[in-house]
Amino acid sequence: MTVGDVMMLQVNFKSGKPVYLQVVDQIKSAAASGALQSGESLPSIRPLAEELRVNRNTIAKAYAELESQGVIETLPGKGCFLKANHSPLKKDARRKMLIEEIDQAIVAAHHLQVPRGEFVDLVRERFDLLEEKQRAYDHAKSE
Amino acid sequence: MNTSNPAIEINHLTYAYSKADAVQDLSLSVARGKCYGLFGRNGAGKTTTMKCLLNLLRPRAGRVRVFGLDPNQREVEVKRKLAYVPDAVAFYPWMTVRETLDYLASFRAHWNRDIERDLLHRFRLNAAQKTGALSKGQKTQVALTAAICPEPELLLLDEPTSGLDPIVRREFIETVIGAYQESDPGNRTIFVSTHLITEFEGLIDEFTVMDAGRAVLTLGADQARERYQKIRARFANPAPTVEFKGAMHTRRDGRELELIANGEGPQIVEQLKLLAPESLTSEALTLEEVFVATLK
Repeated sequence: MTVGDVMMLQVNFKSGKPVYLQVVDQIKSAAASGALQSGESLPSIRPLAEELRVNRNTIAKAYAELESQGVIETLPGKGCFLKANHSPLKKDARRKMLIEEIDQAIVAAHHLQVPRGEFVDLVRERFDLLEEKQRAYDHAKSE
Repeated sequence: MNTSNPAIEINHLTYAYSKADAVQDLSLSVARGKCYGLFGRNGAGKTTTMKCLLNLLRPRAGRVRVFGLDPNQREVEVKRKLAYVPDAVAFYPWMTVRETLDYLASFRAHWNRDIERDLLHRFRLNAAQKTGALSKGQKTQVALTAAICPEPELLLLDEPTSGLDPIVRREFIETVIGAYQESDPGNRTIFVSTHLITEFEGLIDEFTVMDAGRAVLTLGADQARERYQKIRARFANPAPTVEFKGAMHTRRDGRELELIANGEGPQIVEQLKLLAPESLTSEALTLEEVFVATLK
């Protein structure tokens, strides 16, 4: 099975988010859920570009971004691979980045009138869902 | 040669066939390795612009440069670096696909047989067939194959998909562009004119919208989708008749309100929230919708 089969990347031109960032985020969530495991190769640029009907520049930009974030590495002549322990950043820096994202989600929760307790429950729920997915992929691997 | 020259540079280009200007004071620049779209309705001046790049027409005013070269002074050098696919392709109908490709290859210093084989296979083209018996879509496929095999640094496509059925259109354009950019992507530039924007949505890096010979908008594709938003609100009562600053178009229909925002989407959304709508959504415009909104 190739990575492309499992990951099912898709782009949405109506989201207003740059297309390359959509690819970056989807590969990061595939890595988090276990759909893409460390050492596995990413689809090469041309077939992925053709499948998503986007310019290869877009995919190349997404891969360059993932590489600079330390999520993937490029082995010359072999392609791009998911790195094992993928953040090169110190723990403090990683926490700081996460805090920014959490703050944004909290602001969104406020405007959507989702109270604190419900928000925290939602976070737990989403974590459970992610772990369930990880177990499913691990299970599929061991078969 | 200076390798930092853009693939295409057009400065204040003006061209007139008779009294009316077909292209008026057009300026744009296409960086190497990009896929650049020239969008416009029929008669907007797209083909005239292409023809000035090819030295098929001489600018009345302004100048064009291809890799820093004047197509009029250095025609052979310029043509060696590019391939052009016009909107209507014509081949000698008595030649087979094989003979046509060999004939076209004879004008080129370089011809990549692997790309040729790959594309003939993907398009399921029969090399032994006479080109006179090909459908319009198949002729375009042969023309595109012939444009890509020399691996030119610049590919000029003038309405490459007009007149083709939607399935064929969707299928082959990304195949062709993917094959073209496969080797040395930093030096593979595409300049494509079209009014059928949807199929190029994901392929375009940057574009210019032309109207009546003039450039009315030049923008990166991602920036365009970030900047232009369609905002919809539904109210419990008839939609309020409030002015929204930064709204390009406003449409009221009973309890519903639809606005097209240009860069001020977030402010408009905030303003709408204060009016307590029942529902409020916003989404990016596609490039085709940006095109339509710009020309309205």
